[in-house]
Amino acid sequence: MSSITLSTVLRRRSDVRYRRIEGEAVVLRQSAAEVLVLNEVGASVLDLADGERSVRQWIEELTHEYDADADTLARDVLTFAGELHDAGMLEEVSGEAKP
Amino acid sequence: MSLARVVATTWRENLLFAVLVELTYRCNLDCFFCYNDLALRGEPLSREQYFRLFDDLRDMEVLNLTLSGGEPLAHPDFLALGARARELGFAVRIKSNGHALRGELARRVRDEVDPFMIEVSLHGATAATHDRQTRVPGSFTRLLANLAELRELGLRVKINSTLTAWNEGELAGMFALADSLGLQLQVDPEVTPRDDGGREPLQVAASREGVRRLFELQFERARTAEANQPPEVARGGDDGTMPTPLHKHCGAGSSGIAIDPYGNVYPCVQWRRPVGNLHQQSVRDIWRGSAGLAEVRDLTVEVKDMIAAQGKGSHLLNFCPGSAAAQTGSPLRVYPVAAQRKELMEEVMAEEAKRPLLPVIG
Repeated sequence: MSSITLSTVLRRRSDVRYRRIEGEAVVLRQSAAEVLVLNEVGASVLDLADGERSVRQWIEELTHEYDADADTLARDVLTFAGELHDAGMLEEVSGEAKP
Repeated sequence: MSLARVVATTWRENLLFAVLVELTYRCNLDCFFCYNDLALRGEPLSREQYFRLFDDLRDMEVLNLTLSGGEPLAHPDFLALGARARELGFAVRIKSNGHALRGELARRVRDEVDPFMIEVSLHGATAATHDRQTRVPGSFTRLLANLAELRELGLRVKINSTLTAWNEGELAGMFALADSLGLQLQVDPEVTPRDDGGREPLQVAASREGVRRLFELQFERARTAEANQPPEVARGGDDGTMPTPLHKHCGAGSSGIAIDPYGNVYPCVQWRRPVGNLHQQSVRDIWRGSAGLAEVRDLTVEVKDMIAAQGKGSHLLNFCPGSAAAQTGSPLRVYPVAAQRKELMEEVMAEEAKRPLLPVIG
């Protein structure tokens, strides 16, 4: 079960390699030799997971990018972040997000 | 979207996704059947040119970058180039003979390049055969020691082998050796001509019986494997792993390219038809504007139609337009090795079909 909250700061794990193809992300997790394909929101989450911004800041950025209901987007992003964390693609960074 | 559909998208939309870079033709072994054109001359790409190339490939969303040769580790800038590739987020593969991959260098490759995979070459199950092919005494013993070391370092390693007249009698031993090392072994049944068209390597092409034995062994191993997966009988795109209908036979020039040490760009490592040179143009410009690449993309559509016209079981040809061009002068002509492969695979599959199904126990 994921413990990700809006204030969590996440970054991509060092063994994650990914590229965007037609908006979606092809992700290779090297240590597990796993390949996943993420939709556009998932690809954006990977882009945003720089270890500096909180999940709340991702949602603010994505709200500008996508014409979607803010609550729905927040729920989707939080769920996605948790799933990517549980799948070993993202890891928590201790400390506060940069403003 | 599944990975297969992404790959299909790259083929259809001509999105570069995988690049093989031959960094150098220098090598510390001297394999009899090496396909490199060692007489090819030109201005080698500089470190800065490679860095620019990698930057461009990153911007073009290329994921898979293979560093090959010759022996890529013989390039004086190998570690710097590998580290740069890692920094830019490529999934890096290294195709090496494994001879130098030990000690400090192996550790530095792990720590600085962090490759997804290292593919090394095995030429036999005994020192006599392996060393005969590499023409370097002691290379077999050293390779086995290096493979054990690479495993201890936590590097992901795969073994590649080419079936030849010299090692076909050791096939079972080669699989057993790979199993004992806990490594996957992939055997290519085809010795190819040299990249300059020279046919000397074909002197050691495997016999019909040797190729058949390989296919039998692959089925035997698949039958006894836990997953009970059928052996791979055809390249991606023809065997149901790709969504249909795909209008191209393969991704040569559509999702992949190969680059030689002098900056010549080819649609594929097998298809040595130059489509541009990095001393004259950037990879972006070649990808967008090369008339040669446009022709190759059209040819892969024609190849698809040609293969379909061969009728039932045509996917078992495992047809490679690059090999066809090298062996017959046309990428559209079925070459003898492909025809033989289909025939043998059909024979072996017919034998397999007669085999009774075993009850599941436990």
